[in-house]
Amino acid sequence: MDDGGAPRPGYSVPGVALRGVVSALPARRVTNEHFKADFSDDDINDVIKMIGVEARHWVAEGQTSSDLCLAATQRLLARLDWAADSIDALIHVSQTPNQRLPATACELHGALGLSPNCQAFDVGLGCSGYVYGLWMASALINAGCRRVLLLAGDSSSRMIDPKDRGTALLFGDAGTASALEASPGAAPIHFVLGTDGAGARNLLVQGGGFRDIAADERRAEGYNPDTLFMDGGAVFTFTLKAVPALIRQTLGRAGASVDEVDALVLHQANRFMLNHIAKKVGVPPERTPINIDRYGNTSSSSLPLVLCSDLGERLTREPMRLMLAGFGVGYSWGGVQMDTTPLGCAETLVL
Amino acid sequence: MSAFYEGLAETFEVDVSEIEPGFSLVDHNWDSLAIVSVIALIDECDDVMLNGTALSKCVTVADLEALIAKAKAE
Repeated sequence: MDDGGAPRPGYSVPGVALRGVVSALPARRVTNEHFKADFSDDDINDVIKMIGVEARHWVAEGQTSSDLCLAATQRLLARLDWAADSIDALIHVSQTPNQRLPATACELHGALGLSPNCQAFDVGLGCSGYVYGLWMASALINAGCRRVLLLAGDSSSRMIDPKDRGTALLFGDAGTASALEASPGAAPIHFVLGTDGAGARNLLVQGGGFRDIAADERRAEGYNPDTLFMDGGAVFTFTLKAVPALIRQTLGRAGASVDEVDALVLHQANRFMLNHIAKKVGVPPERTPINIDRYGNTSSSSLPLVLCSDLGERLTREPMRLMLAGFGVGYSWGGVQMDTTPLGCAETLVL
Repeated sequence: MSAFYEGLAETFEVDVSEIEPGFSLVDHNWDSLAIVSVIALIDECDDVMLNGTALSKCVTVADLEALIAKAKAE
């Protein structure tokens, strides 16, 4: 059948280089012992067997994910020796902004002392948000920006229901900063992005917005609209359907084979799921870094956190062919295949 | 079918010799975590994706096998 010469899904963007990544974790480290007050040992063990989280870091009272992003950015700029007035754009990806308005990106702009000519804006995505941020940064650079900061951070611990076994143990907090720069000779970065709004209500915090939530049917069952609701089974099924296809499409677009990928970096959603996806696409465990045991699911931060925690030493030493996939809340997903040159820094701070 | 049975044995933490069509899921902690494990197992063994609601209604291994056969025929 003639498909009209339909192009493969996605985009390939030349001339953009990733220069460095810094992640920041809050000092408060919470092990599974913490949950024994609310759950039985069997309940905890069942969940841990599935999600694989042994510890996570949670923000302290008064600390927000933007504090973590700020510290990460300050370290990044110092390591790369980038002057504050050399930044053309700041993208802040988060679902835990400091307030409804203004955009937290504007506050971060002020705290960093960036130039009045620097654009700054928030993007309200979670698990897929880092890939979207890389995409936007790449598009901005192709539109004329020279240096772009991508900040991705979430403090999901502030939204979880401590009595909900499905989510209470899963999430951790982190903030990250990545530096992207125009680099005319850089290898193209390949993106595939997508959305399925039919899943919007399966991962949701209703409170804090402007839609009337008084009539929500789940409120009768004691559901608190300021806490995270997750239909874990539905999200899991979505992921198993969408993510192997996303990885194949992204690599197909890049003309790269699975065997050529140095690291398949997956959003750290759930250890069982990550192992399943890696097996399904044929990437062995030694090339699929997993840090969910140490940090939990850190939402928009999880991909850059893996780059720092598990690949940092190698990323600063040698070129790497990376395949990153972010997927979840929305439903929203993004895959990116990028070839990095040695980074100026890839490290993790604890605040 | 043996990879499937081995996977079920691992999920329910029983010896593989116990897994047979009459094996009762509902007597072995057939909760949401077990269901997502089995969704993944069936995806791996049979390359079909079953939905959680349909799976949650299965009572025995034979019910699972019937559901898989039906999905493969579609």
